[in-house]
Amino acid sequence: MKPNMTTPEALLPKGVKDFLPRKAAKIDYLTDTLKTLFHQWGFRPVVPPLLENLDVLEAGLGSGLQSQTFRFDDRQGGRLVAVTPDITPQVARIVATRMQDLPLPLRLCYTGRVLRHTEQQAGKDRELFQAGVELFGLDSPEVDAEMIVMAIEGLRRVGAEEFTIDLGQVEFVRAILHDLPLADSVIDDLREALMRKDSSSLKATLARTDLEPQRRDELLALPRLFGGIEILEKAEEIVVTPRAREALDNLRQVIGHLDKDLVENYITFDLGEIRGLDYHTGVTFQGYLPGIGRAVCSGGRYDNLTDRYGRSLPATGFSFNLLNLLFALDQSLDRRAEQMTDVLLYQEGENKVPAQRLARALRENGFSAARDMLKRPMEESLAYARQMNYRYLMAITDEQQPVRLLTVKDGSEQTVDFTDLENGHFDLSG
Amino acid sequence: MSDWITFALPKGRIMEDSMELFGQIGITCPEMAKPSRKLVFENREEKFRFMAVRATDVPTYVEYGCADLGVVGRDTLLEQGKDLYEPLDLKFGYCRLVVAEPKELCQGDDPASWSNIRVATKYPNITERYFAAKGIQVELIKLYGSIELAPLVGLSERIVDLVSTGGTMKANNLVEVETIAEVTSRLIVNRASLKTKHRRISRIIHDLEQVVGDEVRIST
Repeated sequence: MKPNMTTPEALLPKGVKDFLPRKAAKIDYLTDTLKTLFHQWGFRPVVPPLLENLDVLEAGLGSGLQSQTFRFDDRQGGRLVAVTPDITPQVARIVATRMQDLPLPLRLCYTGRVLRHTEQQAGKDRELFQAGVELFGLDSPEVDAEMIVMAIEGLRRVGAEEFTIDLGQVEFVRAILHDLPLADSVIDDLREALMRKDSSSLKATLARTDLEPQRRDELLALPRLFGGIEILEKAEEIVVTPRAREALDNLRQVIGHLDKDLVENYITFDLGEIRGLDYHTGVTFQGYLPGIGRAVCSGGRYDNLTDRYGRSLPATGFSFNLLNLLFALDQSLDRRAEQMTDVLLYQEGENKVPAQRLARALRENGFSAARDMLKRPMEESLAYARQMNYRYLMAITDEQQPVRLLTVKDGSEQTVDFTDLENGHFDLSG
Repeated sequence: MSDWITFALPKGRIMEDSMELFGQIGITCPEMAKPSRKLVFENREEKFRFMAVRATDVPTYVEYGCADLGVVGRDTLLEQGKDLYEPLDLKFGYCRLVVAEPKELCQGDDPASWSNIRVATKYPNITERYFAAKGIQVELIKLYGSIELAPLVGLSERIVDLVSTGGTMKANNLVEVETIAEVTSRLIVNRASLKTKHRRISRIIHDLEQVVGDEVRIST
């Protein structure tokens, strides 16, 4: 059957998109801005491949991401290969297997796309754009704090004014759930209830058990342990499990390295969150912007991941989800990411050499310039320039005549000497 | 804008029950008392907004963050499996999700020996999961209403549907054979809102927890 060419949607698989210039310019802006930030913080780029051997990749993925992986048969190797759903395990693999001789710490960054299967529902993205950093070889709370500061700086750079960074410590819940003298099916029910912060079901499930009161109270407190810094004191009062208290201490140490104003205005805590990636081992965080229900950045400590590739290193990192940022900041990016071309060159007649010379001169002087190569009246050329985001139209007759310089926005006009233009003696800053 | 709290509520009885409960913790909307065909109501002083939507759409509005909070039956949540927080059972709107079949079939029928059965339902996901867990293959027939009709006209042998008093089942000569889940209305919360508006939302959850009793209620 011939593919349906009548509607553009029928041409693409579900969950992937074409981005036209306006949106694509915004994605470019986000990518470039974050790359610059990473560079300024001393992070150096790595570019992992799109395809990985499935068994190698899976060593670094938790069960959640494993089930979301796109996999294929590799005709050249007879193995199963996969398009990675997460770049962090790839960077961990590279560090563990190829960078042993470099001194620590290693600061690495990347931008790239990943694919993830999602539940069958229209409109959910399956292709994710990520830009992230990974820091290997340091394990102090100060480092975790620095990652948070960096995420906040990134959000500010791309133009986010209001945001929340939600902190958790995965060992906290893990410790409370660890070693419960309960059947697996009951623990599954508890996890399910915790995931939904469903106190009612949690209570009902616990009522069927004969758990000691202290541990029961710990579990019952979890769904409500979210909010501002006061939550940490509340947790302190309730929690007795030693490892959970250690996790709490660790979180406090991390906050100790953060500016007080920052904590007050931007940081929230969720100690009962059990979502997240299975490789995380300590403080984790997610960034939220108003008006969007999904996180725009997320990350945290993962001290055991490189070990799965044969080299034990403490590590932490985070990544921005560019499409979520794009969605949340779409309007404010109109201005920031707007891409104008400086000049459209218009020349009538057969001899196009003067236009070519001027275009080259403009580009050499750092301006962007394109030539209108259609035979048409200048009014049409001007209308085209307006629609396609040009700032100026230059109408050229020949080297001897002055060049007409029209401002596209308001149609105002001045004339400039051809030789002055070619020698870079002009000002288009207005 | 971002300091407002928006609720998505299902039109009808559950909305009335919800507003009555919210009234007990001081969340009111005088605008709603006037008869109108509006779908959005506001309490400007307190910065609350209420949207009246279809019950099955409530989780969607909340998942996408158009509403911070919602009230919806657990049946809808189980069926849609969305990524939401469900901090509280509000204990009203009680009913049960059951497997039912005609009286004649029921006599001498042993659920343990079911295989390859045909089931009509509004809840294909729950039904499929339920029977799959029991190792029973089912042919699902998705209907949008009047499920009780299906066995009477031979569309399916059995149905999976909600019952509250059991009146409709009885009138159509059907008997319940198994209960899949007990259903009440739940408070649901958008995941980002819970974090970004945690002060107001924590307060609401905490206050509601104090006024919601232990008794479940049928909403009629």
